[in-house]
Formats: sequence, C-alpha cells, structure tokens
Amino acid sequence: MAKITYLEANGREHVVDVCAGLTVMEGARNHGVPGILADCGGNCACGTCRVYIDEPWLAKAGEASEVEAATIEAQEDAGPGKRLSCQIKVADELDGLVVRMPETQC
Amino acid sequence: MQALAELDLPYLPVETEEFAADPVRYFNAAKVQHPWIAESDIGFFIHEYTAIRELLLQDDKMRPAYDGIIEQMGARGTPWGRFTEEQLISLPAEKHRFLRDTFAAKFTPRFANQLRPMMRQTISELLDEWTPSGRMDFEEMASYFPISNMFTLVGAPREEIPAIRSSLETLGLAFSMDKNRLPEIHEAYERLEDLVQRLIANRRANPEAGNPDDLLALLINTGDEGNVDPRQLADLIIFFFIAGYDTSKNVLTYAMFKMLDRPDIYERCGADHEYCRKVVEESLRYFNPGSVPRFAAEDIVFRDVLLPKDTMLWFTLNISGHDPGTFEDPERFDPDRPIAPEKRQIAFSLGKHMCLGQYIARAQLQEALHLIPQRIRNPRLAGEYGWRPYPGAWGLKGLPIEFTPA
Ligand code: HEM
Ligand code: FES
Repeated sequence: MAKITYLEANGREHVVDVCAGLTVMEGARNHGVPGILADCGGNCACGTCRVYIDEPWLAKAGEASEVEAATIEAQEDAGPGKRLSCQIKVADELDGLVVRMPETQC
Repeated sequence: MQALAELDLPYLPVETEEFAADPVRYFNAAKVQHPWIAESDIGFFIHEYTAIRELLLQDDKMRPAYDGIIEQMGARGTPWGRFTEEQLISLPAEKHRFLRDTFAAKFTPRFANQLRPMMRQTISELLDEWTPSGRMDFEEMASYFPISNMFTLVGAPREEIPAIRSSLETLGLAFSMDKNRLPEIHEAYERLEDLVQRLIANRRANPEAGNPDDLLALLINTGDEGNVDPRQLADLIIFFFIAGYDTSKNVLTYAMFKMLDRPDIYERCGADHEYCRKVVEESLRYFNPGSVPRFAAEDIVFRDVLLPKDTMLWFTLNISGHDPGTFEDPERFDPDRPIAPEKRQIAFSLGKHMCLGQYIARAQLQEALHLIPQRIRNPRLAGEYGWRPYPGAWGLKGLPIEFTPA
C-alpha cells in the first residue's frame, strides 16, 4: 500500500491509498480522481494518463520503456518528469509519491 | 434490475439503404424511446456517448465479436473466416496482449512522425496524377492514399495496387452482413493472403531489399525476436492492410465532403499545417466509419439493465460525436470547438483494442488535408454520391467533384 497524492492543474489535491501492484493510473481511476482519462485502459497507447513527477520520485518510479517514451511525445505539454501513469507500478517505496496532472489530457 | 425484453426498445433497420444514408436521424429518434440502447436484427446497439465510453472500457467483461459476424455470414472454416476469427483483434486476451506489445513500438507517434515525408510524397504523386482534368471521384483518389502508403511501408510491387485495392474494397463491405457477397469476399481475401505470403517469403530470401521506411523488415525481425508464429505474422500484416484502408479513406472523403460547404476551413487547411490537426479531430468526431462489435463475456449490469452473457452488442463510434447529450450543437462542424478531455472523439475506440494505427492514421490525414487544398482549388460537388452499408465500414460511396487544378 502506498499513499499517493494526485495534484490537479488547478491545485486541488487528492490523497489516496493505492495497493501495491496496481498502476498509478488505476489508483486514480479506482478512486474517481479526475484529471486522468486513460482511454486505452492502461495499454500505453493513448497518452491520456499523463502525469509529472518531481525528483526524487522520478528515479523510484523507474525508467520509461521505449514505447512509453515514444508515445508520450504525441502530447504537446512537455517538461521534465513526464510519464504515463499506467506504466508506473505502485510499490511500497512509492509511499508518499506526488504526481501532478496536466491541464488537459487532450 | 430490468431485463432487455422488458424495456420496449426502439428497433433500428440498420441494414437498409435509408438507414445508411442518415443513421444520426434514426439514432436521435431512438433516443426518445430509450436513451442508450436500441435493438436490430443483428444485435443491440449502444449509441449514447457516455454509455459507449463507460462500457467499452470494461474490456474484461466483453470480447470482440468478429467470430459472431463469421457465424452470421456462414463463413466458418473458410480462409477468410479463419483469418477473421484469428486476427489480432479476435485473439484471446493473453495472445492479444503478447502480439500487441511485441509490435507496439512500431506504431508510436514517434514512428508515425518519421513516416510523414513518405506520406507527403505519396499524396503529392497522387495529386499530380489525378488533378490535371479538374474533375475526379474524390473517394477513388483518396482510396489510393492509405494503400500506396502501406505498399511503400512493406515494399510491395506497385503494379499490384489496383488488384489489392479491389480486394480491400470487397473486404471492407464484408461486415455489411450480406451473404451474397461471400464468393467475392473469399476471392478478395485469397488475393491479399497471396500477396502477403509472397512479400514475407521474398524478404526472408533477400533481407537486403526494402527501403528506409520498411515496416516489413521491422515486423519480420520483431516477430522473430518475439517468437511470433509465421501464421500470426502473416495475419497481422494482412490485418494492417485491411484495418488502415477504408477507415482512412472514408474519413478523408467525409472531411472533404464536409469542407465543400466550408471553403473557409478548407483554405485554412491549405495554409496552416497545425490547424489541420484540429480539423482531423473534428472530422473524426463528426464522422468515422466504425461500429465496434462485442459479445458480453458475462452477465453485465449497466445502469440497472441486464445485458446477458453472449448478447451481441454494437458500439456506434461512428455517430457518437453527434450525441446531443454530450456535444453542444453537434451538427456544427467546428474545428475550433473547445475539447473537454472526457468528450474527446472516440473514433479509435477505447480500451485494449484501441486502434494501433491511430497515430499513423492521424498523420496521414493531417498531411493530406494540408496538401490537397493547395492543389485542388475551389472544389464543388459535381454529381451524385451514395452511402456504404451500415454498420460498416460505413461512409460515403463516391464523391464526384470538379475544381480548379493548381
Ligand atoms: C482514421 C482511420 C482509422 C480509424 C477510424 C480506425 C479505427 C479503429 C477502431 C475503431 C478500432 C477498434 C476496433 C475494435 O475494437 O473492434 C481499430 C483497431 C485497430 N486498428 Fe485502426 N483505425 C484507423 C486506421 C488504422 C490504420 C492506418 C492502421 C494500421 C496502420 C490501423 C490498425 C489497427 C489495428 C492493428 C487495430 C486492432 C488493435 C487491437 O485489437 O489491439 N488502423 N481501429
Ligand atoms: S491509459 Fe492509455 S497510455 Fe496510459
């Protein structure tokens, strides 16, 4: 179990407990956190589950795969720490993770 | 909880020509009787945007129903029937995931962007060939665009384009559920299978052949590295031909049709490559060819209605963008319409079968929408057009135009 803070672009915070083994995207979806769309249901295809992660969590969240890195390019919002939340598996060491969501997942 | 039989559902004559000519009118009328589900002779139609979104994402409760189509068409055991039942989209969950993951890297936006120069060259060559007379069937010209791109991608001999195009035309009509078409469908499928088997065999015998954009080599190598069975590799390449053909062609044709009445949008497309991106998204909301067939894999209770296991469900992506419950003034074609994320167009479906070719499809459309207005000036409708059968692949049949060549 890990406590994850989802931060909407407008500053609203959602703090939820997510079971290890789920993805950060599933954590949001299961708790009705707005701001993550996940049109492809977690298959690294749609790019609508984007989040931003700050150091030092970035390293703990693991590396983006080749497919993730090449998929995330489609969206215009750019910046360091951009990841697809469906590709980040929740584990105990992510307890306390903060992810920021973009203004829109379009 | 209500049973479907208790609901007094509206009935839709989906196979009729009148329906194919204006499905939105029928669905809007059906909504008065029931907001999200209607019945037909080929299954139930889920037509409300939010219901489609909520249900389609429940992949684990449904399975693709392409085998149901083969059953209804009486095509079990034929080569086309086998292919349709074993194509990527029809595979059991684990096999599907394995194949999709194996090839996903070749379908990312990055890969699609690398193909843009090739796409621009293809459409330019087509325009060179088709524009001088100032008249054309736009749909026919458009049909050569995705197929020529695909031929380049797999290094297929260009002289075979007309024959394969004719195969893809026939296979595109296969899901119209007309059994009279079966002999042609079988012939069409075998021609495509023969091409794909030859391409793979030739490339294996001569790995140096091919061009820089060669997808065939990538697919063969990726397939070999991932231990993909040769039958599945061939099926996948056959599927790319089919999945990318009338989907792309029908969207491009409809976008042109729509812009015949909107010269302002058309001209801006020719001048502004970035704006074309918006026109692509709005075109996909306004029109797309797909109705997604699924079987309920278990009893599903949705909004207090029981959809029993094995019920055939069709999800009407194609008219989902006209839902007045979700889209303000849905009949207005407006590329500058603000898009709320939860109201994005869903032409590429949702969930684990979401179109693998979506970034290639978008890139093709954007490049075409930018170059066409530069060469086809002041286009006007110049004759009759018709409609392809519903549920799909639905779209315009023929779009005769006249114009000033540039
Ligand atoms: C505007 C053009 C296109 C549209 C509207 C479109 C639409 C769709 C839809 C609705 C599905 C889901 C079908 C289902 O769930 O039953 C799909 C799946 C698929 N499409 Fe597309 N498509 C387009 C272009 C392409 C292109 C160009 C390619 C290939 C280069 C392609 C390859 C695929 C594949 C491989 C699948 C199956 C994915 C899976 O089952 O995991 N599509 N497409
Ligand atoms: S849910 Fe589609 S990429 Fe993450």
